[in-house]
Parts: sequence; C-alpha cells; structure tokens
Amino acid sequence: MSAPRSLGFAATVVESARQTALRLRHHRVWTLVVLGAAVLYGIAWLVGYQIGKRTEADGVNAYCNLAWWLQATVVSPWLTLYLGVQALHGGLEDRTFQYLFLRPVSRVALLLGNWLAVGAVSAVVGAVGSCALFAGMADNRDLWPDGPDWRYAGDFAAACTVAAFAYAAAAMAFSAYFRRPLVWAAFFVVGLQQVVANLPISAGLRSATITDPLRRFVLDRIEPNQRLARQLWPAELNFDAETIGAPLQDLAWFVLVALALGALVYARTEYDARARD
Amino acid sequence: MSSAAPKQAAAALRFQRVTKWYGTIVALLDMSFEVGCEVVGLVGKNGVGKSTLMKLAAGLLQPSQGSVHIGPHPAGTAAARADLGFCPDVERLYENLTAVDFVAWMLRYHGFGRRAARDRAAATLQRLGLGDNMHRRIREYSKGMRQRVRLAQALAHEPRFVLLDEPMTGLDPVARAELSQTIRSLPAQGVGVLVSSHVLHELEAVVDRVVLVHQGRLLAQGRVGELRAQLPSQPHRLRIVGTRLRELAAVLVGWPQVAQVRVHDDAIEVSVAGETGFYEALTRLGAGWDGGVHEVVPLDDDLASLFGYLVG
Repeated sequence: MSAPRSLGFAATVVESARQTALRLRHHRVWTLVVLGAAVLYGIAWLVGYQIGKRTEADGVNAYCNLAWWLQATVVSPWLTLYLGVQALHGGLEDRTFQYLFLRPVSRVALLLGNWLAVGAVSAVVGAVGSCALFAGMADNRDLWPDGPDWRYAGDFAAACTVAAFAYAAAAMAFSAYFRRPLVWAAFFVVGLQQVVANLPISAGLRSATITDPLRRFVLDRIEPNQRLARQLWPAELNFDAETIGAPLQDLAWFVLVALALGALVYARTEYDARARD
Repeated sequence: MSSAAPKQAAAALRFQRVTKWYGTIVALLDMSFEVGCEVVGLVGKNGVGKSTLMKLAAGLLQPSQGSVHIGPHPAGTAAARADLGFCPDVERLYENLTAVDFVAWMLRYHGFGRRAARDRAAATLQRLGLGDNMHRRIREYSKGMRQRVRLAQALAHEPRFVLLDEPMTGLDPVARAELSQTIRSLPAQGVGVLVSSHVLHELEAVVDRVVLVHQGRLLAQGRVGELRAQLPSQPHRLRIVGTRLRELAAVLVGWPQVAQVRVHDDAIEVSVAGETGFYEALTRLGAGWDGGVHEVVPLDDDLASLFGYLVG
C-alpha cells in the first residue's frame, strides 16, 4: 500500500487544534469551568449584595467593574496563558514534541492549531465566567430597577473571547521562546502591561499591550458614562469616544506579531539542543 | 577502520562529514557513513553521541557542518520525514490518550484519513502485541507496553527508513525476540534500519553491520567478524572441548600461532596471535586426535568483545 505523503497546511492546523482541545479536556479544565463559574457567581452575588445596601447602587456599574477588574484583567489572562503554556511548552518540556516534529507537517501549522484550540477553549471559559458574574449580580434585584440587561454579559463575553485569542497568541510566543514562559507571562501581564497600558496616550505604546485595546473594545461596546469610564480606564481622566480608536485592529496586530514571532522561533529552534545548553 | 559496503548503491541514510557542536562542546566530529536496505547497529558508550546522531538523522537537529540525507532528501525536510520512522528514547508519551488514538493522530499527519489512520493504527498495535490493550490510556501501560507504542508510531506509516533508539528497553525476553524478528524482517520489505542498543548480544543477532562511535567519532564500521579480523594485535581466544586436554594443550603450545594456552577442567582456552594456517592445522589435528576434539568455540568474535577491544 502506498502511503499518502502528508497532511496539508490547513488540515494540519485543524487536526492540531482538535488534538490540543482533546488534550486540554484532560487538564480538568471543564471541571474548573463549572467550579469557577460557581465561585464567580458567588463573588458577584456577594459584591452585589454589599453594594445594594448603598443608596446610589447601580447594577451596570457594579457588574462592569467586577467583570473588567476580575474577569477580563485577572481570570481570563491567567487561565489562557496557563492553558497556552501547558499546550505548547508542556510538550517541549516533556519532549513529546519529538513525535510531532517527526511528521511531514509544518511546525507553524502545529503552533497555529495550538493557538486556535487554546483561544477557543479560553473564550468559552471566559464567556461562561462573564455570564456567571452577571447572573450573580442580576440576582440582586435591587440593583436593577428596570430588570437586568443581559446585553452587558454579552459585551464582556465578547471581550473575553477577543482577549482569549490575544493572550493565547502571547502564550504561544512565550512558550516557543522562553524556558520559563509562565514567569515571562507574569512579567508581561503584571509588569509590562500595567505600566505601558497606563502611560499617557501620547506615548503611543499602549497598543502594544492587550489590556489597553481590550479596555477600549469594552468601552466602545458598553457606551459608559464618565464615571464608569474613569473607573475602568483610570489613566484616561476625561473619557472621549474619539480616543477609542480601532481596538480590534490593534489586537489583530498584536496577535499577528505574537504568532509570527512564536512561529518563527518554533519552526527554527532545535529544542533538543537547547535542552543540552 | 571499515569493511563491507552497504548492500544497495542508493543509501537510505547518508551521513557526509557531519560535525555537530553544542556551544563549545563537540558532540560529533566528521562523521561519514551510509546505511542501505539493511539493519545497522549503532554502538557506543553513553554520551558518545549516539542520540545526537539519531536526532540528526531524524531532522530534530541540524548538523553544524556536513549533511545528512534520508534517501535523496536532506534530513529534516518534509519529504525526508515522510520516509522516516523514529522510535526515540523519550520516556514520556501522551499519557491521557489511548494507544490507538495516539498512533492514529500521528498517522493523520502523514496524510491518512481519520478512518484509515485508525484502522492502520489498530492493525499496527495488533501486530506489536497490544491488540487487547490499545483502547486503554497510555498512563496505565507498563514500560514494555509503552515501548511498543513508541515502536508503533515509528512503523505504522510504513517508512522507508527506521531509526530505533534503544528499542529493547523495557521489553521482556519474548517481546525482545519478537521485536528482533520484526527488525530483521524490515530490509526484506525495502526498509533500512539504524538501531542502537546497550544489549550488544541481542543487537548482534539483529544487525548486518555495526557502526561504532566513540567520543563523537566514527571508530569503525562493518560486519562484526570482519572488523574483528582487522584487529591482529588482539589474539583470538578459543575454547576447545575434547579428550586428553593436557596433551592437547602441550601440542598446541608449541605452535607458532599460539600465544597462550590455559587448561581448565572441561576445556582448554587458547589465545591465537596469528591465524595463518592455525585453523587448518587444528582441523587436521582434531581429525587425527585419539578420542576426538568435540567443540571449538570462539570466545571473542562477538560484538561485545569487539566493542571492548576498540573502546577499552
């Protein structure tokens, strides 16, 4: 029997994504989703209950703050970076990458498959988390005189979806290049992003982060009042819709650059030799 | 030192003046050899560059100098990888997958459709004795079963050249015998094999030729017997079983080719420094010996002895 030669690029991306998603399933990720959603629901309900005691309580304001500062700034990035590093760097660490690199397929396609799978899984997790938060907040009826507006949950679910693919791209680049990618991911998220994203807009560097365009993406969707805008974007003292710019385009550039760098390194590095250095 | 050219003119694997550095460490130096449609054993102590050599052939590493080819294709290219099967010396596998899922996944990258990949994976695992366990997760496997999974992923796509890095590790004696048989059958199917193992007597039973590596250099290559014959400074040792052993020893010690004779209870051990005419003379002596010479066994014509003489 004459064996087929190899799988095409696109089919390899799909197969790699499918296999990565199947492997992530074994990381107890879905158990964590259920548990995490319950925890987020509890946190939101508790916060909403406390805020509801105040006279100027506002469900939209409370939810947006919680969804941004907890879900979009902490949970989503860390979960995505962790899953991304597990997916790509885990194979480099335990040397199972050898089985993949022996196949007549492009390493770039393998990396893109990993990115797609991690992005998709994290997007689902992020969306579920946003909805769980909203459900917890919505169960405090005093905060919603006109009834809870689930559109906000959709807005943050969309933001978490976008963030998932951006952070997944960062995870791919860190995993391909660094020996301790989670350390560098922490430096990126906690150090670099928080500093650069809060520079004055004239510095022009903020688009090189994920959090700044993501925040603009959120603000563009929820059309906030000045108070909420200032709470979500402290560096921008006078919020002006003009400053929102093109956040999706900025994020697309970030993803493109991160994936290009990651793919370049992943395709060219002798990971076996690196282990000996 | 070299002897016996590969059987085929078109080499399945070709190393041409390959040197590999890791930073300032020279792992392999000016290595040239070819493997045809045959089984070649890669022999050397730990850390002499065997795994580096395997990974260069697999395209996982690139040579610092020189070139490696699988058939007509430079190692590491997609065409070379399509023709190659590699059983690496890597402990970890995809622990949460079943064996059939893992092998089928690897086959997908070789262009097999989902159904075809699964059928082929199942057939390969069945052939390697994992038929009853192929649907269990790999993390539940014994060491020997895991080794069979590694072999399955290397052989399932029917490559034209196979690299086996310590394939006998963890296998029980029956499985070793079966694997030896499998390896021996590959050249008949047009497949070249380069196999490394620490179990030299088992390796010797499987290989057509050996490549001896020492301190990153090619020390010798060829058939074991021929390489042994090229070591005139090392006397051959023979064990002779017969009757009237003391008298036989007295005769032999007077022969110019005999360097030393030791008499044991049931046999004598003879060190032969020069073989010219020795075996003919021994045959004549044995034919006329009262009571007979029952057995003449070479003691150091095997791969382990050769390895010991060359590497020390």
